[in-house]
Amino acid sequence: MSDLADRLAGMQAQLAARPHLLRLGSLFSDTVLLMVDGTEYYLVFDRGRLARIVEGPSRKTPYQFGIVTDGAALATFWTPLPPPGFHDLFALVKIGRAEIRGDMLRLVKNLRFIKEFLALGREEAA
Amino acid sequence: MIEPIVGRYLTVEVAGRAQRIFFEEAGEGRPVLCLHTAGSDARQWRHLMNDAEVTAGNRLIAFDMPWHGRSLPPEGFQTEEYLLTTPTYIDTILAVVDGLGLDRPVLAGTSMGGRIALQLAALHPDRFAGFIAIEASDFQPAWYDIDWFVRPDADGGQMGAALVSTNISPHAPEVERWNTLWLFMQSGPGVVRGDLSFYSTDDSLIGRLARIDTATTPVHMLVGAYDMTCTVEDARRTAAAIPGATLTVMEELGHFPMSEHPKGFRPYFLDALARMP
Repeated sequence: MSDLADRLAGMQAQLAARPHLLRLGSLFSDTVLLMVDGTEYYLVFDRGRLARIVEGPSRKTPYQFGIVTDGAALATFWTPLPPPGFHDLFALVKIGRAEIRGDMLRLVKNLRFIKEFLALGREEAA
Repeated sequence: MIEPIVGRYLTVEVAGRAQRIFFEEAGEGRPVLCLHTAGSDARQWRHLMNDAEVTAGNRLIAFDMPWHGRSLPPEGFQTEEYLLTTPTYIDTILAVVDGLGLDRPVLAGTSMGGRIALQLAALHPDRFAGFIAIEASDFQPAWYDIDWFVRPDADGGQMGAALVSTNISPHAPEVERWNTLWLFMQSGPGVVRGDLSFYSTDDSLIGRLARIDTATTPVHMLVGAYDMTCTVEDARRTAAAIPGATLTVMEELGHFPMSEHPKGFRPYFLDALARMP
């Protein structure tokens, strides 16, 4: 397993242990593509739980929205006090280090849940 | 503990309509009128208004814009689309200054409050002693779609808070980050959208910056390095277009400095006050 796959598995466990996030995501059952340095991870959410993490590549996995970034940016994002631009998903987009694909509005409607899920990577780094 | 902040209501007429406005104040001395950001209210200034060193020589006054916080929307709001405009925003602030009998207060505004402070510096400098423009810029187009904020199929409060959290510094204490976000969660339906309509579509300030006379009314600008909406570059460009304006970059702060990180913001605000007449 790669370091990133390990990290995502840790975040999956962290999510399952956080009742407030499970409440926030109780209506969220989407598949989210996370692409890092070209490697695809399909995060399959089911009512707020991360049910499966499926590593690509895949040309046939439907997803609702995707986050495309690079490993260095993501590693900086997951530091305890990231520098400006690396501290938030949309900040990464604004500085050109991440891109949102697919149904942007679906992401925005569930933004608090997704942001708090992504931030669990910092817990994993701690 | 009872805090020194005291709140009351003031009814003024703006564009022919009665507006019942909540204001709160603390301190004595030079009046400093404080403006909140989009989608929030005067509570953003709670820490500075409780700061004895700040209020020893300054009378800090903050009010909730109509439709915000404890200021109700005007009669008939239920069939109205709220869209803030530069003339209405200016008229509201001047009505509050008159209604409270303030004699040339310092005007301190953040975000859209900073934008309108610079408009007032250009258009009504005789009404103010000086201007502290925080997270303020001439103009920048939206990186968001303002229509995201009003949808029957989404929780506008949670969504708005999650979006603006992009602009909060990771150095902000957790409790104040969430207090700051709570104010957005409480915002009424359509209010963030109506504020951002003003903020992201009206570029009339650009052509007015050069006329600001900082020799008569000083302009000091503050910008947080973690602000992704009004970036350091936006603030630098704006300050450079105002002859004599000064600018300080706050390395560890974001778009809501007085609310998200009061201890971090305090020295910058004290310095800004010291630059005012």
